[in-house]
Amino acid sequence: MKSIRTYLLLALIAIITLVTFLSLLQGYKDSIAKAQQLFDDRLQSMAAMIANANQDLHPHSAGTEKLSSTVFFQILTDDFLLLARSNNATTPLLSADNAVTAGFRDINFSGYRWRVYILKDDTLNRWIITGERSDISYILAEKVVTASIIPIVLAIPFAAFIIWIAIGVGLKPLRELTGQLNNKQADDLSPVVMANTPEELTSLVASTNALLQRLNDAFVREQQFSADAAHELRTPISILKVQLHNLQNNEQISDAVLLPLASGIERMGQVIEQILSLYRYSPEQALIKQSEIDLSAIVQSIIAKDYDQIAMKQQKISLSGGEVCLIKGNHFALETLVQNLISNASKYTPEQGEIQVTSKHITTGVRLIVEDSGPGIPQEQYERVFERFYRVDGDRHNSGILGCGLGLAIVKHIVELHKAKITLHPSTQLGGLKVMIDFPNK
Amino acid sequence: MLLTAVIIILREVIEASLIISLFLAFSQRSNHTRTWLLQALFLGVISAAIYAINIGVMSQWFDGVGQEVINAGIQIIIYIVLLIFLITAMRPHSQFNNRLLTAMMMTGVIFATVREGSEIIIYIHGFVTVPELFQSVLLGSAIGAGIGASIGVCIYYLLINMPINISVRIGYVLTVLLAGSMISQTIQQLTQADWVISQYPIWDTSTWISEHSITGQLLYAVIGYEATPTAIQVTAYLSGLVIIILLSGYSWNHNHRLNK
Repeated sequence: MKSIRTYLLLALIAIITLVTFLSLLQGYKDSIAKAQQLFDDRLQSMAAMIANANQDLHPHSAGTEKLSSTVFFQILTDDFLLLARSNNATTPLLSADNAVTAGFRDINFSGYRWRVYILKDDTLNRWIITGERSDISYILAEKVVTASIIPIVLAIPFAAFIIWIAIGVGLKPLRELTGQLNNKQADDLSPVVMANTPEELTSLVASTNALLQRLNDAFVREQQFSADAAHELRTPISILKVQLHNLQNNEQISDAVLLPLASGIERMGQVIEQILSLYRYSPEQALIKQSEIDLSAIVQSIIAKDYDQIAMKQQKISLSGGEVCLIKGNHFALETLVQNLISNASKYTPEQGEIQVTSKHITTGVRLIVEDSGPGIPQEQYERVFERFYRVDGDRHNSGILGCGLGLAIVKHIVELHKAKITLHPSTQLGGLKVMIDFPNK
Repeated sequence: MLLTAVIIILREVIEASLIISLFLAFSQRSNHTRTWLLQALFLGVISAAIYAINIGVMSQWFDGVGQEVINAGIQIIIYIVLLIFLITAMRPHSQFNNRLLTAMMMTGVIFATVREGSEIIIYIHGFVTVPELFQSVLLGSAIGAGIGASIGVCIYYLLINMPINISVRIGYVLTVLLAGSMISQTIQQLTQADWVISQYPIWDTSTWISEHSITGQLLYAVIGYEATPTAIQVTAYLSGLVIIILLSGYSWNHNHRLNK
């Protein structure tokens, strides 16, 4: 069912039409029968009046009565000789050949169908016949009856229009409720309040409000958890780092023992930061803090921030395009996205390798490309690298590289929040991986 | 005159509206696209007008029985369309089957509209020159069309709101009966054209349900009711039913076994 309004309108009009038209037909049949009865009564009265007014028993051809062509009369003797007639009925309609009985009958005469009434005048032994053309009386009856039907048939479209409006008014509370829910800000989990809640919507409004309440509670719990987790997890790591630093100053402990410990602590720190950022960029949060952002500026600031790490590996990083590329988005989320992509490229590109970042306008919006001269990713794994905790070739792949397999999962998450599209390609220019993200126009 | 107009227009409209509501309900319940309907109706109305305008020439074909033969041809096409539709609907979903279903539904609606639409145009046009009857013919046509279309709407909403298993059964039975009605009408047209020998009716139920009553017309449209059918007509009607039931049953069984 596409629309309740259309359904109600069509179903109601169909039923009204069906019932009304079928009753109209029944009414039409009855009215026509009544009109026929009226015409018959008139013929009968006419015959009686003629019998009373004309009691002449001598035929006189000169005395024909001029009547309209749609009615006639004849007066016949008992042996069917014409005594008097109207000008349009020249030959006797009754003869000895057919059994004559008084009453109504339908006959064909002078090219038309006639309804006739035959009266036997027993006092003067005469037959009096009055007749009327059936087609004319039928059309007349039909005209009278249809005159009362036409307004009802024409009323159906008006009824449809009024019903359409009435249903619209009836569905107003539903539209109001939908409007309220649609217009709610992403962080607005306050209950829906309607001025006059109709009976049918009471339980819907109540359950929606209960749902909003539960959602709000969950939201608060999650925020609490993120804050607590950040604090509770970061503190012991900081302590570990301080202790590690102290150990490094202790000459009795060799670097060979400390290095794996240091990288283990570093990795744990990274995993925690990444997991927290996954939570931080929930759709609701990201939507609240959206603004107009220059992507190129973010890229520049991240390159500047990470330059030391890149320089340490003697890698060459370049930014092409660099024009102002405005998109609508969440500043911190986009920073994380660019940071993850650049640090991923740097991580997997060998020393003295090359990284190229491009930000430019395309017809559908803004395109960000990060490509490197690293080993790249086999094409069959393109889809899987976006999964959480997935690492190319498993954990065995390169023990020297820190990572937890969350970087690209977070990138994809942020890309989806911004309704952008991410694709992976082999880099034709540098030979490694090429990550391409298309942001829609703001 | 009004009653005659109601009966004639109702008979034409109800058949088309039944076919449309069956196909539309099927599309709705099987999440099939419904955009074909407007295109089919548009093409059907245009073709009906062309057919009606040229009826004078076309009726001279086949030694003066062109109209009857063309109408019989259209009924046979609708029968075949319903047959292929039922067989395909029983088969598993695939792009080819979906396209075939859309094509069949479009063809069915186009031909039903051509056949019924042209009859309506010809009938009403015949009274344009008789002003004293024209008003009641128009009024009768409006009432007949209103009743026919309303029945179609009611059947459509019943089919889409019923539990799916009941709706499928009713839809199937209606389609099969409609197909049988097409065969019966084909034989009737061919008998009028003298292509099939005319025989004495094998029974007469006109005293129970007259063909010239609203009930008679409804039954005529739905099950091809005929108060005075001939032996050939009854045989053809039953054969038409048996063929469509067997073939669609075979298609369903075949598919059912594959699913197991």
